[in-house]
Amino acid sequence: VFILLFPQTWKLADSLYTCKVLVVGAGGIGCELLKNLVLTGFKNIEVIDLDTIDVSNLNRQFLFQKKHVGKSKAQVAKESVLQFCPSANITAYHDSIMNPDYNVEFFRKFMLVMNALDNRAARNHVNRMCLAADVPLIESGTAGYLGQVTVIKKGLTECYECQPKPAQKTFPGCTIRNTPSEPIHCIVWAKYLFNQLFGEEDADQEVSPDTADPEAAWNPEEATARASASEKDGDVKRVSTKEWARSTGYDPIKLFNKLFKDDIMYLLTMDKLWKKRKAPTPLDWTQLENKASPQEESPASGLKDQQVLGVWGCCQLFKHSVETLRSELREKGDNAELVWDKDDPAAMDFVTSAANLRMHIFSMNMKSRFDVKSMAGNIIPAIATTNAVIAGLIVLEGLKILSGELESCRTIFLNKCPNVRKKLLVPCVLDPPSKNCYVCASKPEVTVKLNVQKTTVLSLQDRILKERFGMVAPDVQIEDGKGTILISSEEGETEANNSKYLSDFGIRNGSRLQSDDFLQDYTLLINVLHTEELERDVEFEVVGEAPDKAPPPQSNPEEVNSITNGNKDSAQPSTSSKGQPQTRKTQKLPDDLQFTEKPSLYCFFYY
Amino acid sequence: MIEKEDPIISEEEAAQYDRQIRLWGLDAQKRLRGSRVLLAGLGGLGAEVAKNLILAGVKGLTLLDHEQVTEESCRAQFLVPVSARGQNRAQASLERAQNLNPMVEVHADPGRVEDKPDDFFLQFDAVCLTGCSRDLMVRVDQLCSQHRIKVFCGDVYGYYGYMFCNLGQEYSYVEEKPKVVKPSGDSSDGSGAKKAKVDPNETTMVKKTASFCTLKEALEVDWTTEKAKAALKKTPVDYFLLHVLLKFRTDKGRDPDPQSSEEDGELLRQIRSDVLDALGLSASLLNDDFISYCFSEMSPVCAVVGGVLGQEVVKALSQRDVPHRNFFFFDGRKGNGMVDYFGPN
Repeated sequence: VFILLFPQTWKLADSLYTCKVLVVGAGGIGCELLKNLVLTGFKNIEVIDLDTIDVSNLNRQFLFQKKHVGKSKAQVAKESVLQFCPSANITAYHDSIMNPDYNVEFFRKFMLVMNALDNRAARNHVNRMCLAADVPLIESGTAGYLGQVTVIKKGLTECYECQPKPAQKTFPGCTIRNTPSEPIHCIVWAKYLFNQLFGEEDADQEVSPDTADPEAAWNPEEATARASASEKDGDVKRVSTKEWARSTGYDPIKLFNKLFKDDIMYLLTMDKLWKKRKAPTPLDWTQLENKASPQEESPASGLKDQQVLGVWGCCQLFKHSVETLRSELREKGDNAELVWDKDDPAAMDFVTSAANLRMHIFSMNMKSRFDVKSMAGNIIPAIATTNAVIAGLIVLEGLKILSGELESCRTIFLNKCPNVRKKLLVPCVLDPPSKNCYVCASKPEVTVKLNVQKTTVLSLQDRILKERFGMVAPDVQIEDGKGTILISSEEGETEANNSKYLSDFGIRNGSRLQSDDFLQDYTLLINVLHTEELERDVEFEVVGEAPDKAPPPQSNPEEVNSITNGNKDSAQPSTSSKGQPQTRKTQKLPDDLQFTEKPSLYCFFYY
Repeated sequence: MIEKEDPIISEEEAAQYDRQIRLWGLDAQKRLRGSRVLLAGLGGLGAEVAKNLILAGVKGLTLLDHEQVTEESCRAQFLVPVSARGQNRAQASLERAQNLNPMVEVHADPGRVEDKPDDFFLQFDAVCLTGCSRDLMVRVDQLCSQHRIKVFCGDVYGYYGYMFCNLGQEYSYVEEKPKVVKPSGDSSDGSGAKKAKVDPNETTMVKKTASFCTLKEALEVDWTTEKAKAALKKTPVDYFLLHVLLKFRTDKGRDPDPQSSEEDGELLRQIRSDVLDALGLSASLLNDDFISYCFSEMSPVCAVVGGVLGQEVVKALSQRDVPHRNFFFFDGRKGNGMVDYFGPN
């Protein structure tokens, strides 16, 4: 109402009434944002979300009630808002923003786009669409008590990808397969096991002992021998885990004895591994059964899920979950695959039990289902108030943009405690675009180190262009004077190339690949730097970045400035990028970072 | 007294509160579950606080408001249905508020705060006042703190907003700190076997106490002393703006109204000079800028202040985490949110 107050604000009032805005996401931030937008006077709002409502959303996504569980978030959000503001003009899309229907033309309809997302891939994509359409974007994120809002305007400010974000946390294959030292290693192993047994088998998610582990070799010659032996072994001799399981009829006890006894005994023969580490102790089903004592009375004060089971309890949970999953698989029919879901009780039971058994074997204290779920499911704790604050800030930035006051826009950080200058909310001036940004620079270019004889075209497409560089549907041409097409986004056109190596196409050191994403209106020139010296488990490296090293707390905060990325990332830590695990964790910032003028938020992946 | 009866959290609660239990812990959730809160004023800010507390899962929330729903109040908050014109604002907000979380007992009371007898307040663990006059807030704060009831005040004026709290002279709480992991020196075993690894994520709860002054003391700081004058440089001017706006409310019985923007603007200018003069301070401390921006309860500002205020109530009821002591000021023009203490040392 205040906006009708003064002549200078009449124009703003008019904008509010006529402009169209897009809200990407109708979850925690989205619900609060929609409410603020309509109460502030925004008339024409479009909201998109691919998700449906879950009971765990109800502690903060206040536009939803219990009766709405299972329904489309965007749709129900719209209906709820119309309840208290029937005159609002809202269009809801139950869809993914990465659907090619939402092209540059679609984005150009809007005066303002506001993200309310929970994953990096979508943020990257919207970033590019807004650059392509030249529409201002307000980006935001929350995790627990912390939050952040910033404004992205082509040519004026940094884009979302100007600052390299720390890469997803990954673990080396040998840590997962041979020498776990932390509960998370066991949990990742259990998730891999789920896929190997019940889901989509993935060569990067091996669970069996890794004979080629360099640490297992006593001398360099042995290491080479081990490596080549394991390579030769290949798929011909070895039966896949799933096939083996099938051959036993998914017998839980046979599975148990292979995974928790036989394979562990095998690991013990790789004695060098246990020279400086505590050796694992194999489990025997029958022995455990005989020793089993009645379960202790559960302490009434905790949640049922917060109990830590005993070893025999885990065994039983393992057996029951395998049996349930086996039936689920059979019901689905031949060649069926299950997809792991933290909210599927049997899937969660399976990971809980398998991970805990492995923790016990490797002398780690076992974890409750509650804790395992947090880690396995990448759950980021969330509350209503943080989202309410951030959504309020988003609208305030939006008003500045609509008033044409871009220079007054800020990045604002919400801290848990006030800093030395008493600030709980810290506004910071926006940075100009980075000249070397591989997304928003005028002719984006990167150099990628890889082995042209070992990198397949499919890897280039999926691991490098899609995962690392955020393209959705890449087209790649070799700059060889002939414009040879390596990858076409049209389905089937270049499928034959997928398993071939880059060198097969004459790509070598110094070659240049032009990669486009038509939808994102994005062209990236990739300079190939051939190398034969990449670290184990590492497929490629982007030159000029050290994404692996956990940034030391005292470093320039600008280097790691990033929005809380959300829980949908790093669901399956892969072994294809750098193997060094970061020491990053949770949302607790190091104390000294709280007090710098520009506190930075690291990516809030749990793992 | 916060009831800790029924220590068992139901499966329904565990499922619904999962994401917040993972943040502040089960114990805090149980304390919330045993708390009763009074919320006065269901304007823009009040509705935000109501939403936040109901979602958090308090035992009971009483919505107290004597005002009637007007055309404007429909647009100002999201709990009142458009058809409710003429009804009492608390009662009109009840249904949507209750629907936010059926597990909370939400009551609506159409009475006036000033008419409530002293013992009315004693049934609550915390009281939150919005839209109240300075004298009323001071009186209620006095009464409540005598009975160890936690007091919160807050308002939004255009782009500006504040929150105040009084948690008593001896408020104890816990703070989560990372556990200090002692290096395991157990290498006497020939094979160099190590101890089982300690979870690096382990934390420990440390007990702390803090002391809060009354609202009266907080507002009646003496700025004429040398010490105070020296502190002035680091003092957010929002504090003085608050004095001006509270005085306006006392004098006019309402907040600055866009309908009478010119005369209200004039009056604000005058009050600014009077207030600063009475405090022994220069009128230039608060320039004219604020006048254009303190009209009407702006929704996004209500969201920010309501979020901070709501979270402070949750913290105080659960006695967990460092409370903001004792004011929070938000300037929506600058994006500044500051916490500062005003009162005797």
